[in-house]
Amino acid sequence: MTERSADHPATRSTAPGRITDHPILGPVPERRRVVFYHDGRPVEAFEGEPIAAALEAIGVRVLRTTARRGEPRGLFCAIGRCTDCVMTVDGVPNVRTCVTPVREGMRVETQRGLGEWHPGGWPR
Amino acid sequence: MIADIVVIGGGPAGLSAAAAAAAHGARVTLLDEQTVPGGQLSKQIHKFFGSREHLAGTRGFAIGRRLLEDALAAGVDVRLGFAVYAVHPDTGDGFEVAAYGGKAIRLRGRRLIVATGASENPLAFPGWTLPGVMGAGAVQTLVNLHRVRPGRRALMVGSGNVGLIVTYQLLQAGVDVAALVEAMPRIGGYLVHAGKVKRAGVPILLRHTVIEASGNRRVERAVIGRLDEQGRVVPGSEQELEVDTICLAVGLSPLLELLLILGARTAYIPALGGHVPLHDLDQQTSIPGLYVAGDVAGVEEASVAMEEGRLAGLAAAGSLGLGDPAALAEAKREILARLEGLRAGPFGAARREAKVQQVGRPLDLASPPAAAAAPATSDPPMAPAAPATSVVAAPAVAEAGPAAGIPLRRRPLAVIECPQEIPCNPCETACPRGAITIGSPITNLPRVDPAACTGCGLCLTACPGQAIFLIDRSGETAKVTFPYEYLPPPEIGRTVTAVDAEGRPVCEAVITAARLTGKADRTWAVTLAVAHEYAGVVRGMLRRGR
Repeated sequence: MTERSADHPATRSTAPGRITDHPILGPVPERRRVVFYHDGRPVEAFEGEPIAAALEAIGVRVLRTTARRGEPRGLFCAIGRCTDCVMTVDGVPNVRTCVTPVREGMRVETQRGLGEWHPGGWPR
Repeated sequence: MIADIVVIGGGPAGLSAAAAAAAHGARVTLLDEQTVPGGQLSKQIHKFFGSREHLAGTRGFAIGRRLLEDALAAGVDVRLGFAVYAVHPDTGDGFEVAAYGGKAIRLRGRRLIVATGASENPLAFPGWTLPGVMGAGAVQTLVNLHRVRPGRRALMVGSGNVGLIVTYQLLQAGVDVAALVEAMPRIGGYLVHAGKVKRAGVPILLRHTVIEASGNRRVERAVIGRLDEQGRVVPGSEQELEVDTICLAVGLSPLLELLLILGARTAYIPALGGHVPLHDLDQQTSIPGLYVAGDVAGVEEASVAMEEGRLAGLAAAGSLGLGDPAALAEAKREILARLEGLRAGPFGAARREAKVQQVGRPLDLASPPAAAAAPATSDPPMAPAAPATSVVAAPAVAEAGPAAGIPLRRRPLAVIECPQEIPCNPCETACPRGAITIGSPITNLPRVDPAACTGCGLCLTACPGQAIFLIDRSGETAKVTFPYEYLPPPEIGRTVTAVDAEGRPVCEAVITAARLTGKADRTWAVTLAVAHEYAGVVRGMLRRGR
């Protein structure tokens, strides 16, 4: 796990889906930025926000595909009930990404079907 | 160790229950699966309806914070991030509750209060499984809690209060809403909530539904269509909307699982959200010592949830011999009276009738239980909302109202366009002159005394429905003041497009004043100068960039 400074250019979260200011909630408070890996690609995020929120912010909407027909599924309930958003996180399948906080260096993979424990092919 | 009371759920009902019981000396532990307290309140950024006792006029998330502070101050042991996965019946040493939150814990409570709330109903249609179709609650969670926009342009399905409020919140977050479709021939939620989205230019299409969502592995468009009297799509009425998000706001169902595990008796009462637990006036279920409060006891609203929570908390504490019985009985009478008020009016009446059926007796202490419940109806009455034309008619109401009567007045006058009997009175409480009267029940329509109104505008920003306007006809041009909660903030001197209650452009107008006081809590009061003929019509302005 690498420590990053707050002004590291790679971690500045200016993704199009980010709300920076809001008429009622005001500007978004400063949070620690982290980088996690989505299918091997680095993604900037705020520490502690749900994985699914960080992915929505950069426009990633397909979080898994179904077992039989390979249909895409994404965020649906956002409160940990429906399990449509499950992905493989750090080699553990079926993790509810809408209620699982992002951590530095986390490996998040699009899950195929029911997923597998510790799938191969990960950059180590 | 065994707690006096274990509360499951940290929303308005659970927090209120825990605080009420702890205030009478009960040792209370509260569990919630989320790490953010307040339940749905934590995502609610609009000002709430109700009365002072329900912190009306305060934004939802601030109410949630207040309730948590009250619970902590009363000594409640609040444990967040613990999902309860099992409950075991009381076999003499209390109910046993098993929860997991990074570690497994087991708790015992001599009384158990279940305040687990409700979950959103899905709606199946071709393409509904595509990423981009989400619950309205999901959208609210993303936008208001995680501060992420779900797409750029949305279609909202359902015109209940959730659909209306979330539409408004999407607009506030900078997401465009192409349309709101409602299968019924009338708006389901409060017309004042509908008024906010109409003024923002979002079409509310009644007797319309979503037919299909399509796109390449994600929502790229939606097809909507008009429904005939039988609920079938009228051929040729289909239209395609370019949207990347479809937001479902088609009702809530109580989260009963834990109650079913314990074997609590339930009934199917559609007006309360479907299967609901039977309970008595203490909120106690068919299982002695097991209480329910809030949406799990029947889907209503946050102010009802708080009152039911207090009721359950007091009753549970009282049943353990805690508190002064006379004081508890008096508090119970007061709460039941306030609940009556919240369930009055056209929206509350159907729920009240359903509640009588659920509780199996009249909802006050004075009537004997033998007087019995209203018979269960197979066809529960729908809330008779005012005809959909009443919002259209709003300017006419203003013309015919007090404003028209006193054209020579030297000050602005508050004009209230609040057409439905809803449980809400912050306007009455906000007025320092006593010029606005609602009285009791709280569902009465507000009345303005023009002689007493100074036109100060405190009611305008206090009104959760944004249904109060100031009209000043004394000058060469008339001035209309309205509430405004969008970015960028209004700028004095800027020329804008004034719109009517339907969001239709009326004229160009200059912003002559824009006030934002601390008390107004981020609601601007914007004043436009318009020709006198438009004073009864102009009710807002187009957002910049629109």
